[in-house]
Amino acid sequence: MLAYALKRLSLAALICLVAVTILFIIIHAVPGDPVSIMLGPRATPEMKALLTSKMSLDKPLPVQISVFFGNLLRGDLGTDIFSNRPVATIVFEQVPYTLALILTSITWSAVLGILLGCYAAVRPNSLGDRLAAVLSVSFIAAPAFVVALYSLLVFAVWLKWFPAIGAGEQGDLLDQLKHLVLPSFAIGLSWVGYIARLVRASMLEVMGELHIRTARAFGLPERWITFRYALRLAILPTITVIGVGMGFLLSAAVFAEIVFARPGLGKLVIDSITTRNYPVVMGSVLVSTILFVLATTLSDLANAALDPRIRKSL
Amino acid sequence: MSDSKIEWLRIPLARRRFLQGASALGLGAAFAGSFSGAGWSAGGGTLKSRTYADMRSLDPAFSQGVVDEEIQAPIYNKLIQYKPGREWGWQLDAAANIEQPDPTHIRFALRDDIGFTNGFGAMTAQDVKFSFERIIDDKLESTNKPDWGPLDRVEVTGEREGVIVLKNPFQPLWSITLPYITGNIVSKKAFESVGGRIATEPVASSGPYLHKSWQPKQKTTLVRNPDWKGKAPAFDEIQIFHIDDEKTAEIAYEAGELDFTRVSLGSLERLRAKPPANTTIEEFPSLYYVWVGMNLDNPKLKNKKLRQAIQHAIDVPSIMEAAYFGVAEPSTGIIAPGLPGHRDKSLVPPAADFAKAKQLLAESGERNVKLALDVLNKQTNVTTAQIIQATLAQIGIELEVRLHEGATFWSLGDEKTGERWKDVELILNRFSMTPDPYYATAWFTTEQVGVWNWERFSSPEFDKIHADGQAELDADKRAAGYRRAQDLMEESGAYRFITHEASPVMYRATVKPALRPDGLPLLRYFQTA
Repeated sequence: MLAYALKRLSLAALICLVAVTILFIIIHAVPGDPVSIMLGPRATPEMKALLTSKMSLDKPLPVQISVFFGNLLRGDLGTDIFSNRPVATIVFEQVPYTLALILTSITWSAVLGILLGCYAAVRPNSLGDRLAAVLSVSFIAAPAFVVALYSLLVFAVWLKWFPAIGAGEQGDLLDQLKHLVLPSFAIGLSWVGYIARLVRASMLEVMGELHIRTARAFGLPERWITFRYALRLAILPTITVIGVGMGFLLSAAVFAEIVFARPGLGKLVIDSITTRNYPVVMGSVLVSTILFVLATTLSDLANAALDPRIRKSL
Repeated sequence: MSDSKIEWLRIPLARRRFLQGASALGLGAAFAGSFSGAGWSAGGGTLKSRTYADMRSLDPAFSQGVVDEEIQAPIYNKLIQYKPGREWGWQLDAAANIEQPDPTHIRFALRDDIGFTNGFGAMTAQDVKFSFERIIDDKLESTNKPDWGPLDRVEVTGEREGVIVLKNPFQPLWSITLPYITGNIVSKKAFESVGGRIATEPVASSGPYLHKSWQPKQKTTLVRNPDWKGKAPAFDEIQIFHIDDEKTAEIAYEAGELDFTRVSLGSLERLRAKPPANTTIEEFPSLYYVWVGMNLDNPKLKNKKLRQAIQHAIDVPSIMEAAYFGVAEPSTGIIAPGLPGHRDKSLVPPAADFAKAKQLLAESGERNVKLALDVLNKQTNVTTAQIIQATLAQIGIELEVRLHEGATFWSLGDEKTGERWKDVELILNRFSMTPDPYYATAWFTTEQVGVWNWERFSSPEFDKIHADGQAELDADKRAAGYRRAQDLMEESGAYRFITHEASPVMYRATVKPALRPDGLPLLRYFQTA
């Protein structure tokens, strides 16, 4: 398992390196003058020249890339030109908001999705199964931004049960949790459907296998068989999907952060790309990439821990 | 949060009465703090307001735009501040008196009851000198240096008295320099104690409110300054939420989480018909100006008759209805109503004249005209472009609409970023401005060709009007010059003026807002109703 973990982590590091390099090239290749945007319309040519030099934008792209990675090795993500604050500070103060949103969304949707999937699988073709199918497909089909807007209108404007904007007061955990409800509901709802359908299909496949039939022949309780034996195997593809889903939720978090006016990494990336704030773009993209790769790596490691065959496949 | 420890002596101010300077906008004489005198209540509570972006800096030398100013204006003081109301003007703030004895000298005396927090003492003329001169100091590399125009120096003539000395006369000083970002006075001692500049944490404040906290991408919180010696601020706390999306802000308002916000034009009709409870909706003209420009250096648009045909074929009232929901008015130029130099009407009427446009097109000799319109990818612009596409089609001009995202669009005409300026044909553009006509004409001079002047319009007469307008003290003559400047733009055939947009706002009945004539909030003057 240790050898597998080391191999998987090395691969993750390589993926990060390649992804960030490609993103660096793409971001710098897109038209747009960061210096003009940063300094505003009234900047003199001298001011523009000075900032261009400071940001190394007058150097060839390979040199800029090597400067970026050189600084990165020293733990320096640069300084935001607008606010003169360290990019690392700017990025890492946004990370907890995004992580909280993603983890809350995936947690509630996974718990509900797995329960719904198991329920449907143990009662195939029953009324409950059909109802679960209708609900799951409806959840999948509902666009997250529509869910976000309607949940805002219903639960924030009409019922006033939950706050509409922001992430809550610093240091007030209850307030922060209240502010998480609607955004995590909006971006997690479709995942309930995905996971439920996936778990149902996997469970039905596993429930038909010989070892499950043997367990039944031994007279083991049905609940024991479902959760102890069947779900353990059926959950493997779900874990992979959840790992990848964390990455997709990083993207989905962007609109949740905009619609709910929440701080977060996605919003930071959008804002900094719009203003061609290269140091912040690269810092936030780097951290987003690491989070995504980390999520998929953890799901692979979890799969390997549950299924020894996977450890030998890398 | 900064601790509030004001320690200063009330040094008696020389009681010599200065003549009070008239507003640069010609809108009446200034008066000392009379706004805050009547009906000011210290009702307490929290005011929740919204800005459209996050704060960038609390250092006046590095702040950009209204977002930073909304936060700085309540925590710092200026010699003069914008006067709330429907007409542009200013009122005294930290200055007890201010006068302009000659075009290059502005004499001021500070009030004797303003001090800085954190033990940085009373506000003195040395602080004014430091605050203004640091911005023009090349070593600081302030992005706001141009706002101080021809500032030479500030002479300190007493503990609280000084003279601002200009190299040349500079009329915008009264409308965009002193009452705006670069007019904020900071503590010399405080700034020097932290190396000369700050980022997002103020080292000392002096206004009626103090900066309590900033949650990036979320909100800024200001609290009442207990040591403020002027009229008591109305609120215990002001929370300024940074919400990019206007619709989100409207929902937040309807959910009771905001007391004041700008309203999107698209929502105005709905909100007018069924306003949220205890809400007032008001509309203000904006200072933005929107126009269709034509690249004079593009071979396709060299023919003036063709350009004039395009001017007459664009139907502005249709754009007002479709893209601006009937809320905005057609503009007559780049200078908004209420500012010196605003024209009552444009040379080309707002409504399209297709017969005339067809006649001009025929006279141009151009056949099978196919052009492209570059547009920033926002709904209002896209709808505007579609209307233009449809109306140009009526005279036989085929128009392709090219959409661009923000940063790509804003470098289209910039020669320094490549050769794309050569491909620009028609462009739908929108600039913001500050309340002085000089700020509007600055972008269309010959010097700006290939920088922000993407039409590549060049007129020696226009350039002269722009240069002279900065120094012209005769208000009528100055206004006439700017009107002529807009005539020149329009006569070139390179511009079709569209609108100044509109700036509707809504606020709770519990709040009595203080707004600029363009609807932007002056939070330090907000009161409880």
